[in-house]
Amino acid sequence: MMTRVLTLLAALLVLAMPAAAQTGGPLRIEITEGVIEPLPFANPDFVAENAAAAELARQIARVVSEDLTGTGLFREIPSSAFISQITSFNSPVQFSDWRAINAQALISGAVSVGGDGSVAVKFRLYDVFAGQELGDGLQFNGTQAGWRRIAHKVADAVYSRITGEGGYFDSRVVYVAETGPKDDRRKRLAIMDYDGANVQYLTDSNSIVLAPRFSPTGDRILYTSYESGFPRIYVMDVASVGRRALPTLEGDMSFAPRFAPDGNTVVYSLTTGGNTDIYRMDINSGAATRLTSTPSIETAPSFSPDGSRIVFESDRSGTQQLYIMGANGGEPQRISFGQGRYGTPVWSPRGDLIAFTKQSKGRFHIGVMRTDGSEERLLTASFLDEGPTWSPNGRVIMFTRETQGESGAASLYSVDISGRNLKQIRTEGGASDPAWSPLQR
Amino acid sequence: MTHNNNGAPIMTLFTRGILLASVLALAACTNPDRFDSAGAGGAGGAGGAGGIGAPGSASDPRSPLYFQQTIGDRVLFQVDQSSITLQYQTVLDGQAQWLMTNTDYVAIIEGHADEQGTREYNLALGARRANAVQEYLVSRGVAPSRLRVISYGKERPIELCSDEACYSQNRRAVTVISAGLSS
Amino acid sequence: MRIGYYISGAGHIGLILWMFFGGMFNTPPQSFEVTEVSVISGAEFEAMMAGVQTPEVTTDVAMPAPELPAEEVPPTESQPDPTPPPAEPQVTEAPPADPVPQQPEPLPQQAEAEVSDEAPVIAPPPQEEVVLAPNTSDRPVPRPAERVAPEPVAAPEPDTQVADSVTEEVVPDEAAEVVREETEGGAPEEATTRIVTEAMEEPSAAPTTSIRPRTRPARPEPAPVAETPREPAPQQQAQEQPAQQPDRTADAVNDALRQALEGGAASPAAGGQSGPPMTSGERDALRVAVQQCWNVGSLSSEALRTTVVVAVSMTEDGRPQPETLRMLSHDGGSAEAARQAFESARRAIIRCGANGFSLPRDKYDQWRDIEMTFNPENMRIR
Repeated sequence: MMTRVLTLLAALLVLAMPAAAQTGGPLRIEITEGVIEPLPFANPDFVAENAAAAELARQIARVVSEDLTGTGLFREIPSSAFISQITSFNSPVQFSDWRAINAQALISGAVSVGGDGSVAVKFRLYDVFAGQELGDGLQFNGTQAGWRRIAHKVADAVYSRITGEGGYFDSRVVYVAETGPKDDRRKRLAIMDYDGANVQYLTDSNSIVLAPRFSPTGDRILYTSYESGFPRIYVMDVASVGRRALPTLEGDMSFAPRFAPDGNTVVYSLTTGGNTDIYRMDINSGAATRLTSTPSIETAPSFSPDGSRIVFESDRSGTQQLYIMGANGGEPQRISFGQGRYGTPVWSPRGDLIAFTKQSKGRFHIGVMRTDGSEERLLTASFLDEGPTWSPNGRVIMFTRETQGESGAASLYSVDISGRNLKQIRTEGGASDPAWSPLQR
Repeated sequence: MTHNNNGAPIMTLFTRGILLASVLALAACTNPDRFDSAGAGGAGGAGGAGGIGAPGSASDPRSPLYFQQTIGDRVLFQVDQSSITLQYQTVLDGQAQWLMTNTDYVAIIEGHADEQGTREYNLALGARRANAVQEYLVSRGVAPSRLRVISYGKERPIELCSDEACYSQNRRAVTVISAGLSS
Repeated sequence: MRIGYYISGAGHIGLILWMFFGGMFNTPPQSFEVTEVSVISGAEFEAMMAGVQTPEVTTDVAMPAPELPAEEVPPTESQPDPTPPPAEPQVTEAPPADPVPQQPEPLPQQAEAEVSDEAPVIAPPPQEEVVLAPNTSDRPVPRPAERVAPEPVAAPEPDTQVADSVTEEVVPDEAAEVVREETEGGAPEEATTRIVTEAMEEPSAAPTTSIRPRTRPARPEPAPVAETPREPAPQQQAQEQPAQQPDRTADAVNDALRQALEGGAASPAAGGQSGPPMTSGERDALRVAVQQCWNVGSLSSEALRTTVVVAVSMTEDGRPQPETLRMLSHDGGSAEAARQAFESARRAIIRCGANGFSLPRDKYDQWRDIEMTFNPENMRIR
């Protein structure tokens, strides 16, 4: 109502004023609103440059499409809609045909297989409406066994070129695979490609394992295990699956470990005499330093990407809240102030946000906030969500979601930091405590 | 041999009775190895009593079953709390007394939490609860060296529903006793 | 789930009744996005908008499971292999650390020649009407939709061809749950005003139905779902309808303006086709037309902080000349982010201008060269 009156007023005033005549300068307008929708792209099957590559060409193109579509930012136009086909990597593109089906981006690729099991994959990316190539074509060389990684690298390149974000498809996730009833859960460590392929199990299910985390280069995993009878931190080499316990005194419990960005320091929680505080340890020498000394519970520490600060969870105020302190301890600053309990903080690899679990009014949420605690946004809500982990580009969060009741079970979910594209990551059985690796080299 | 009026040999009956009683007394010495070193074995302390062969041992004040069922091996807690309420202080008094009487036992105190919390915090909370029980027992005279503490966080619930009725049972500290090596 | 049907039915009846009688309360059918010549300052304008634009929408349809968002689509990732390959997790042979970039030969220029006779792309209906959802007492939250746009758009019929972009799955979840108020042809996709996260759905028992739709071409056009997207005929029709489709009150204002301004001028002024000055309505038409195609969904957060100014020259029939498209300046982000922002702006101009923007021919001199500033500030995580 008010706006209508104001607009009429404005119109009247316009009538009264001589409109500013454009004396030959360009027309200037400002666009301040747009739309947010998945960008339609076309990804015809990659061209097989020799007969042996036919199946691989199709599979690689499929994985590329799935990666892009899985982000929620892209939408694939089905091949049944195509007007023209890509039959040769170097032939010119009939942009009009792709415009006609409203593809805004076009990927064309080719695969060739060498006699020694090697594979070469090349691709080009086009902006269909602008009628030009985006970036340079790239070629990846690898082995047939690693074809999925090559496909992920292609998808990463396309994704980065269009969005400007870093990629995250060529990455892995380590998690806890769960089987059995709720009162006797069997847990073991598992690792898989971020999209669920290539699952491998790293431990047996004879002892409880919890919350694995990658090293900054993805070559080692820290986790907590009851193998010794008590919760204790172990470090495992991913390639060899060899492991060793970090030194913990008899009667103490250690858990919640995370690497510092330098890969040599571990920050963790140690419980001694019933009191839990945060410590750091040099992983090579085993020398430990205590960082907090309070009777409250301090746990779930996480380093900032530059290694200068640590965010953690503490109930010193009476309820669990988030605090930030220097990497060598010091007076912590509280950053969470909303209604509810905050826990499991994880610093984004971009350094701009902290993801966390929030409990409020009987519900659990995964949320993000700026590192000063401002702009808190909740991304999910359910009976039990917890334990976020960041994708390598800081754009997607994976977490555990557990259902309620006697038959309750845990599974992995992911969500974009805008809160969109919430979806489940399918695993063989139950799954919890995911941790995302850095982008693989 | 003297016989009673019915012709049953009295002495034999009496002897048998004594023999039976002494056998029973000896059989009461047991070694329930309830928890293995593997974490999966420490289920809630309610695990089956292995190796106790003597019948009626729940009423035998020296038996672990008595400890479990008559005295009570667990303490329950309020949400996010690790303080021991009066009702459970009585239970712990009983536990302490039993431990002081039966000096060849040691105990491990398992702390647990309900599922309404994040994994690591619940580990710490369970530890706090177990520790609270340990400190209380020590304050009642139990030697600290006989007590160990472990937390299972929310990993080993005994009640599975997602209501307060189950949660309240899961917020517990269980004292699990076992025969210790002498000195 | 019968209770769901009852509630849904009651809600829809309520919605229909409210459409008849509630309209008098607050739906301003005209645009108040008068940016150029308004007395209202930018800040006031934003404050005004902010006061009204919290996405309150009718709660008349109760969703059976409020916290189950429509976005929980079964994942498209491939299934994990059940048999773990032996031992080494790092078994996959890595491609070399730096992929070998190969400079392909530049493409022959023939592709450029195709620009002129491309198949028609729909210019979406002008959206001067900012239809804001009516306020309600409780605070419902807009239902998540695939597309987020400044103006909420009701989900079209499932079998309606979507203008301006091809969809093969027209967000089936939303379509299933909402009763169509009207059938539509060639409508833009369903859109909400904000990104709806699962957490936001929480407090309201009823995530919303379709928001009050804007006036739409009434003619239903059951074109098949875009398996065969290049249907020139329905597309043309859909295109004409929006062109014929006046925005009522905006037009009323425009008419009044035009009359006032042109009353004096008996004939087009000398000096070629510069004509009377561009009216705000015409500028708005252009702005809104470009807006429809400006897709920021795939921009990085840094690109969403970057403002770019793009220059383009137009042909007489209102089409942009792609070879004249260039970025004049950028502000707020790195050069890389500016490139992303520029590319999305470029796509917006080319896509929505493919059939010509509706610009007055007699004022061609005034809009032959256009500078557009794309400022994504409002689009950042909504």
